[in-house]
Amino acid sequence: MHRHGEYKMPGGKLTVVDLQIVDGRLVDVVVSGDFFLEPDDALAAIHAAVEGQPAELDESRLAQLIEHATPAHTRMYGVDAQAIARALRRAIDAGRPA
Amino acid sequence: MKTQWRDHDWQLLHGAPCSPALHMALDEAITDEVAAGRRAPTLRVWEWAASAVVIGRFQSLRNEVDPDGAQRHAIEVVRRVTGGGAMFIEPGNTITYSLSAPASLVEGMSFEQSYAFMDAWVLDALRTLGIEAWYQPLNDIASRSGKIAGAAQMRRGKAVLHHVTMAYDIDATKMLEVLRIGREKLSDKATQSAVKRVDPLRSQTGLPREAVIARMVETFRAQHGLHEDQLRADELARAQDLLQDKFATREWTALVP
Repeated sequence: MHRHGEYKMPGGKLTVVDLQIVDGRLVDVVVSGDFFLEPDDALAAIHAAVEGQPAELDESRLAQLIEHATPAHTRMYGVDAQAIARALRRAIDAGRPA
Repeated sequence: MKTQWRDHDWQLLHGAPCSPALHMALDEAITDEVAAGRRAPTLRVWEWAASAVVIGRFQSLRNEVDPDGAQRHAIEVVRRVTGGGAMFIEPGNTITYSLSAPASLVEGMSFEQSYAFMDAWVLDALRTLGIEAWYQPLNDIASRSGKIAGAAQMRRGKAVLHHVTMAYDIDATKMLEVLRIGREKLSDKATQSAVKRVDPLRSQTGLPREAVIARMVETFRAQHGLHEDQLRADELARAQDLLQDKFATREWTALVP
């Protein structure tokens, strides 16, 4: 089932997550939003970091995975690893059908 | 080394209307020319040849755009190189400009500082038209009656691209048929309706769009210096390649599905 979650960081931008859960793991994860991210391929690194991870990971563990996956020189504006992790958790938990 | 506006020989490009995808390509081509040192820093004023939805680099195509609404109103959907939110464009309804500058101009600045810095001249221009506007972090220009403009910025090598779309007028009904406005996003704003969030320049100035643009260009020239320029043939050719290979492709537009 397709799941969708959104989180707007206070004073920041909207982060949206679309994903599926297959056999307890996150699949086809798409993180999107009106945030700013440099370099732009950091988004692909974030996708790779969470794809296939167990759906029971909590917000702080997801945030850690994202932190570690993004290169040190990555600059985020209007979003951070914690905000992406929260949107991920919302998608996993609330999961409204698309 | 940090540079100042007046350290640069600013060029103005204000050409004939272009397709939305060509505008996306021109931003990339021109900024790369500035990064390579083959073009002086440039202010480009856009004229639109067609209606468009321009989505941000990281936005989901299907979450932002209603494909039936876009088709019904013959609206071209394009993805830009910078982050930020979706914009609904109709020729004559927006004032859009780009600054392609050496990164040294914003060296050492935070994102927040560099956004406000790049548009300070616009706030001055608006003030001379009787509009008290300010920078509303992260990336909006606002007045008491609502949002006027949204900016987006990115560093590309040794250059920075900063582009802004200002609402001159708006067909809010059509906009809502074409854009899906996220509930979460609206919940954070003081105003409840998407329509009220934008207050266009036409109602605030009572001036034709061309007059607002002329005042902006005048203000930039007075503050920073500005020379009339033309796009070079090789720059246009490069942009047309980018259009064909990237900006007009489904792969790019649906990059974040």
